[in-house]
Formats: sequence, structure tokens, C-alpha cells
Amino acid sequence: MVDLSLQVFGATFQNPILLASGTCGYGQEYSGVIDVDALGGIVTKAVTPKRRRGNLPTRITETPAGMINSIGLANVGLEGFKREKLPWIQENLRSAQVLVNVAGWTVEDFVGVVEGLNEEVGFLGYEINVSCPNVKGGTLFGTDEKALAVLVKALRESTSRPLIIKLTPNVPDIGVFAEICEANGADGLSTINTFPGMVIDVDTRRAVIGNETGGVSGPAILPMGVYATRVAATRVDLPVIGIGGVRNAKDALQYLLAGASLIQIGTAMFVDPFTAPEVVAGISEFCEKHGVGEISELIGALEA
Amino acid sequence: MMVGYGSEGYAVPFLPRPNSVAATIDGSVGLLIRIFGEGSRRLAQLDAGDSVLLLGPLGVGFDLGQAPRKVLCVAGGVGLAPFILLPRWAREALPDAEVHVLYGERDAAAVFDAGKLRELTGIDAEIWTEDGSLGRKGRITDGLELGDIDLVLACGPTPMLKAVRELALDSGTACQLAVEEHMACGMGTCIGCIVETVDPTTGEQRYARACIEGPVFRAEQLPW
Repeated sequence: MVDLSLQVFGATFQNPILLASGTCGYGQEYSGVIDVDALGGIVTKAVTPKRRRGNLPTRITETPAGMINSIGLANVGLEGFKREKLPWIQENLRSAQVLVNVAGWTVEDFVGVVEGLNEEVGFLGYEINVSCPNVKGGTLFGTDEKALAVLVKALRESTSRPLIIKLTPNVPDIGVFAEICEANGADGLSTINTFPGMVIDVDTRRAVIGNETGGVSGPAILPMGVYATRVAATRVDLPVIGIGGVRNAKDALQYLLAGASLIQIGTAMFVDPFTAPEVVAGISEFCEKHGVGEISELIGALEA
Repeated sequence: MMVGYGSEGYAVPFLPRPNSVAATIDGSVGLLIRIFGEGSRRLAQLDAGDSVLLLGPLGVGFDLGQAPRKVLCVAGGVGLAPFILLPRWAREALPDAEVHVLYGERDAAAVFDAGKLRELTGIDAEIWTEDGSLGRKGRITDGLELGDIDLVLACGPTPMLKAVRELALDSGTACQLAVEEHMACGMGTCIGCIVETVDPTTGEQRYARACIEGPVFRAEQLPW
């Protein structure tokens, strides 16, 4: 197998494949099925200042080539994460890198979670979720240029750890938001979060999702994710993590060529939990077949 | 157990679906399929040698741990699936226990082959149809009496589960119910399949994940 390791955010990732936030719990959930520690890393379920029950059911349903979800940031909260989840991560994820996804509604929420975790060990940095479509105000920071600048600046002052901002595709030009993150001290970007969507049951004339709307993910959004990654990667000098619809090595390679340094897999893990290790093996095969010596040779190597 | 087609080829259905293991025969697992949509149609059309993706067994199933002597299984529609396997399993685990199955459907056309059912379970199920076209007429819960039953187990439509739960709580009979929810992962990661539950001792309510904390819950855990 070709060595797929690469340096990003000042750390070694043994391969570029991470599990996306909200699709892998806190890592432990998949540990009985795959070797999570053999992946490039995981991004935890969002951590908010306080424990959250999340949205009413129905929370998920299938859509063409994908799914829609409205979980509503159900999570154990900052203290619950430290007490119940972080010890397992510290004990079991020694080779895989861990990013803690952080969500909130005010600058103080985000800074509070980051400062509450700064002294802890066992994870590399933070992925800041300014792009959740499923809670009121979830995309507030991700769609308001001024608010995003204030938030990123405040977070930069609150931590020296890698700070990755997860952007929403639901803006006219994601490049503008990428530039704001870079100008205010972010270390990287994750593109993209889900697209807002809706499914209606025509028999009952009601929305299928309890919260009416949700976020659409899966293969259906692959081209949009690749495009957003391309835009972000050309506009800023920060490493970009490509997300959206990856289910095989070819999909992941599209993101690398578009300019992503790392790739997250989410929805495809629900379909087949062996997807992530298979994508790692598939990228390795591709590199071998095409004489690629280092994975970094592929990053942004899109031909004009 | 989750049953799906993998993520290649934009399969329809895209997400795997939760299924009960209905039989274990010579190292194989059997599923009870009712053709309802695209996914079940595809499953029913599979030929020997075709592949599907199975993940399981997952979650919390029925528990015979209290060594009941008389067990009643209440099956509504395709909710029959776990009760095809359970009578044989119960006979092995609890040789002295008596297991009865009540099985309700809308009409005769929907009823699973009674001979096949006897062959698989080793017992005769009491069949009910809503229109009376086969077996006893009415809803399965209409004539339900739990008198000397030690444990009642139910799987089927939610209104049926609610009726069984009421009767069991009234008569003080131990009762376990298998709920059905939309699921994506089956492994507790997506938090999509939540069910409102209550802690019977503290009264504290919280969402539980049907996939790994269920799908079987005790009647007292469900604040319906």
C-alpha cells in the first residue's frame, strides 16, 4: 500500500480520509465494525455549551441519491463530552486525528466550548460549525460576513489549536466567506455542510421531517461539494477539507484534485460502514496505478 | 439487522432498512418481506447468489431473562417477523415455557402461509383478520386477555402496540414492545431514530435511539 500520509495543520494525518461530524458519533460507535484508528481521523458530533435533546421526530428520511436529516444538534454538551466521550477518544484514537466540532448561537457559546476544551488532550483542533441548517440561527454566522469575521477573530484569540471553519453552501459566493475566515486567522476550511431541503408526504400533505425542513446530504450533493471546494481552494491559501457525497475513491480523488487536502465521508457510512477504509484502499490503488509517490501531488492538481 | 445494497450505483433504496431476523436456518438468516415499496420489491426479486449488505445483529431484542412460564406474542402484519424465530428460540432457552402467537392482518390475502408458519415456529398461531376472511374477526387486541400470561411481547403498528401496552400495564403483566422508526445507520451514530422514553424510577424523560437502545422497550419505558 502506498504511503498516504500527509502534513496538515501542523500534524500528521496517516491518510486523507476523515469521518464527518454528525455521522460517526464520537468515534466509539463505529469501533466494533471498523478500525477507526486506521483512518486519517474523525470529526466529532457537534459539542454545544449545554446538553441538547435535539429536534422532534421524524428526523431523517431518504431522498433521491441521498437523505435529509434534521437532528438539531442533539449532543451531550461540553461537560458531558469531557466526562463521557473524551476519555474513550484519548484511550483509543492514538493514530487517527480528532477534530472536535463546535456549535453555538452566540460568539460566547463558541468561545466557551473552545476555552472549556483547550486544556484537554486527545484531539488536534476544532471544526467550527457555522452552517447547521436545522436549528434556528444555525447558519447565522455562516451567512453573515460581518458576524463570521467577529466570530473567527474571537475564536483565534481563544485558542492556539487548529481552527477549521465548516462553511455552508447556501451563500451566493462561498469564496467570500473563505476569504473572511483566512483574514481573521482560521487555519482551514471544511466545505460543505448540507443543503437545506424539504420532503412532503402527498397523502398526509405534511412535511415528512418533524421540523419541516432538513439538510440534504449524500451522492446527490457531490458535484456541489466538489465545486465549493474548488472555489474555496483557489481563493485562499488555507488547507480545505472537502465534504459532500463521497462514497468511493473516485469521489474522494475529485475533491483532492479540486484542491482539498483532506476529505470527510458521512452519509455513505450509513449505507456501508466499510466505506471509509475502502476509500483509503482505493486511493492507495489509484496512486500505485498512476505512479503517484505522495498524496500531496494530487492536491489541487486539476488540469486547466 | 440493517439490510441494504451498498452505496455503489446510486441504489434505490439508498439507505439500508431495519429488519427483524425472522429465521435462522443452517447458518443463514431469514427475513420476512412484505412488498411495499421499491426496496422490498427488490429484496423479493433477489436470486440465489445475489448480494445484499447485512449489518447485525444490532440493538436490544426481546428478553426472556425473567424465565416466564407463559409467553404471549402479539404480531401485527409484518411485525410477525421476530415471532417466527422466537418460539423455537424460547423452547431452547426455556424448555418449560409455553409460547403462544397471536397474528393479525387486514384480510386473508395478507396472511403469511399458515402451514409454513407452523413449520418454522413449530406451533399454531392464532390468526385474526380485520374483515374476518380468515381466522377470528376483528382487531387482534379486541379480545386480548392477559390473565395468566407472565410476559407479553408485541411487534406491529404503533396503535396496536399502544393497545397492548395499556392492557399490560392495567393487568400488571410484564410487556416488551418492538417499535419501528426511520433509521439510517443502525449503529447509534446518526441519532435519527429517536423514541421518547421515560425512566420508570426517576420519571426522567429522554430520547433513546431505537437502533441500539431498542427497538425493544419495556412498556413502562414508553410514555405513550
